[in-house]
Amino acid sequence: MTDAAIITEKLVRRFGGLTAVDNVDLHVAAGQFFGFLGPNGAGKSTTIKMLTGLSVPSAGRMTLLGIDFAAHPVEVKRQIGVVPEGMGLFERLTGAEYLQFVGRMYGLDQTTTRRRSEELLDFMQLADRPKTMVADYSHGMQKKLALAAAVIHGPRILFLDEPFEGVDALAAGALKALLGRMTERGVTIFLTSHVLEIVERLCTHVAIINKGRLVAQGSLEELRAGIPGEEGTHKTLEQIFLSIVGHDGGDRPQLEELSWLT
Amino acid sequence: MADIVLQEALRSVSLSEQMRLVAGLRWRLLRNKMRQKNNRMDLIGMVFAGILGAVLVLGLCFAFYAGAREFVSRGRTDWLALLFWGIFVWWQLFPFFVAGFGTSFEFRALLRFPLSRRAFYLIGLAYGMADFSALAAVCWLAAMTIAACAVEPGLLPTMLLVCGVFVLLNVTLERLIGSWLERLLARRRTRELFFALFIIAMVSMQFLTPLLERYRHTAAPIISRSQPYLAPFPGSLAGIAVADAAKHSFGGALAAVAGLLAYVVALSALLWQRFAAQYRGEELSETSSPVHRVVARTGPHSERADGLRFLPAQVAEMLRKEFRYLLRNGFSFVLLVLPPMMILIFTMQSGGRHRHSVSTMGFSRSAFFPGMMGYLILVLMSPAYNCFAYEGRGIQTYFMSPVRFREVFLGKNLMLACVIAVEITLSIVVFSFRVGLPGTPVVIATLVAIVFTVAGQFAIANWSSLTFPRRLNFGQMRGQRQSGMAVLVAFGAQIMLGGISALLFFVGRWTGNAWLPTEAFVFLAAAAIGGYVASLNPVSDYAEKKKETLIEALCR
Repeated sequence: MTDAAIITEKLVRRFGGLTAVDNVDLHVAAGQFFGFLGPNGAGKSTTIKMLTGLSVPSAGRMTLLGIDFAAHPVEVKRQIGVVPEGMGLFERLTGAEYLQFVGRMYGLDQTTTRRRSEELLDFMQLADRPKTMVADYSHGMQKKLALAAAVIHGPRILFLDEPFEGVDALAAGALKALLGRMTERGVTIFLTSHVLEIVERLCTHVAIINKGRLVAQGSLEELRAGIPGEEGTHKTLEQIFLSIVGHDGGDRPQLEELSWLT
Repeated sequence: MADIVLQEALRSVSLSEQMRLVAGLRWRLLRNKMRQKNNRMDLIGMVFAGILGAVLVLGLCFAFYAGAREFVSRGRTDWLALLFWGIFVWWQLFPFFVAGFGTSFEFRALLRFPLSRRAFYLIGLAYGMADFSALAAVCWLAAMTIAACAVEPGLLPTMLLVCGVFVLLNVTLERLIGSWLERLLARRRTRELFFALFIIAMVSMQFLTPLLERYRHTAAPIISRSQPYLAPFPGSLAGIAVADAAKHSFGGALAAVAGLLAYVVALSALLWQRFAAQYRGEELSETSSPVHRVVARTGPHSERADGLRFLPAQVAEMLRKEFRYLLRNGFSFVLLVLPPMMILIFTMQSGGRHRHSVSTMGFSRSAFFPGMMGYLILVLMSPAYNCFAYEGRGIQTYFMSPVRFREVFLGKNLMLACVIAVEITLSIVVFSFRVGLPGTPVVIATLVAIVFTVAGQFAIANWSSLTFPRRLNFGQMRGQRQSGMAVLVAFGAQIMLGGISALLFFVGRWTGNAWLPTEAFVFLAAAAIGGYVASLNPVSDYAEKKKETLIEALCR
């Protein structure tokens, strides 16, 4: 039995009459590369926001690394790193200044913060612009900086909301290798992405949320086994995803309606 | 086959239809904006602004009518150039003041549609004619034409011709300047520099009155001597054309109109070139192009040098971050110049250096000094009521980090307190140089009163920042409004604390006890500081409750 990194029990988030997250029970073991999938508006980002302290649950409980989030938010935040939906960068700082700020806010001493900042900027190929402000970074560069800030304090859980969006192939390759090595060292990675190929390549375990409800959870093999089809044929994550989420035909656009285009 | 199916619905769209579609689009945008606002106050504001605009235009129509009539009836038609110059300056400067900040790509957005270059150019000019400044100017030109023809009906053809060419010239020049500005202001740094210069220019205009009073006699001859040099320029050319026509010197009139036309041709060529660049898809990117620079390692950091080691690490880091933000925010930076400048303006308007009284304002120095300092605190404290305004998406970092909001507020409040200390010191230096300081009891009482009002306001301002957050963008004027409630809270707090301070000063004077206000302010300052410290934990808890509102408001 592996230690649990993330446990949610009956997690609910309501916005007025809309229930965005509905009784979600997640179980993520320590050291897992965990993919959290769902169609647009399914509740992925809301769940991540609650798990990282950016949003308050309407009901339910969250335990990260054995610590109750509601009771000890600061202790939990010390152990986690986040690349949120909007990246959360201060646009008027340079990359180095931003990393310096984040490192110090997480309680790293000055020397360690400086050393790690330089290493991270080098790794992310951002070191050649020491005086450029974040506002002048391209989208991909901002993403890389947000990733650097999320790992500067050596988190035990890393939450990544669309981490590779806008990142060039070269940097994405290096990042994937880095993330892989982090999980080998016991870091838990909780990732959302719409690019199912990336999730399939990186993640060992996956959960799928649809209309606020958790509709599947388990290892890729477990999910494959639960999908009907010819035995012995390899099912891709896309096929698994579509068979779980996409069989509600009413939601799918009908191509016949666009006959003038096709 | 598919191509044929797709294309069969398409046909070429005429220029007039394209212009009609664009006009319809603008109308729908305006209508939907009003529907979307769903805010009675905004609608009332728009109606009020509309009425004010109409009054301004109509009022000046009468002025232009009266001026033109007077000049023509006196046989001084050459003075019409003054009126043309007034319209020219208005037409070119007004759009710059109201819409020069913040880039608008609405017009360029039309390029995604299959517009011809000619249609793009004409729609651009039509956009220019639909501006308030252009409509007002056309009304004034019409008033001038009616006035001139009422006195001398023979001037009608000349006035119509001159006004027509003048309108074309102005709208072309305004669009040309607008398109260059758009290109210039597309870059963030230029926009911010521009914004800072604009604020300084606006404040500097306050110096005009005292300067004009001092130099008005020497300025008039300089202006009249410079008139011949203005002759080749549009305002004067228009005036000369009408004046020559009035004297039946049609050759001169035609030459002046030809001069105006030459301007139109030259400006149109330049504008065509600019619009052609836009039409080709000119890139107005904010981000810098990828270049390789030599890696400059940051030297040993200044933590030891900046002397903040006595503070908790997180508060010190907040303070450093706030300092960097202050230096990189043109607007905040310019605000720092304002307090000493205001002292200078107020003391200039009061007649300069007077050792015994600030004469024309009728105040003694012992009343003027605390009054001025109170006014400066009002200006300097205003950003505290929406202190997250410039954080943008960075606000999420505070909530993701293992810090409580008390550290965030402490860092922010300490930074502002330092700024206020520096500003007040500078202002006192300027004040003592210009007017002289009042007696020691008043100076000390004022300084302690500042501590009281600042500490008292911080507690309220922190609460206001969490409750009524509003995102503001760096170096941008358009759409930059604080929350109305935050402004009201600031106003209420400042009236309350300022009122208490004024009352104590009054009691001191009334009882004849010069040190009484100081003693009372020391007590109040201690209470305010205690209250501020006590408020930090509740405000920190409150921040947790308000985090979603805050993130939503600032990350939008």
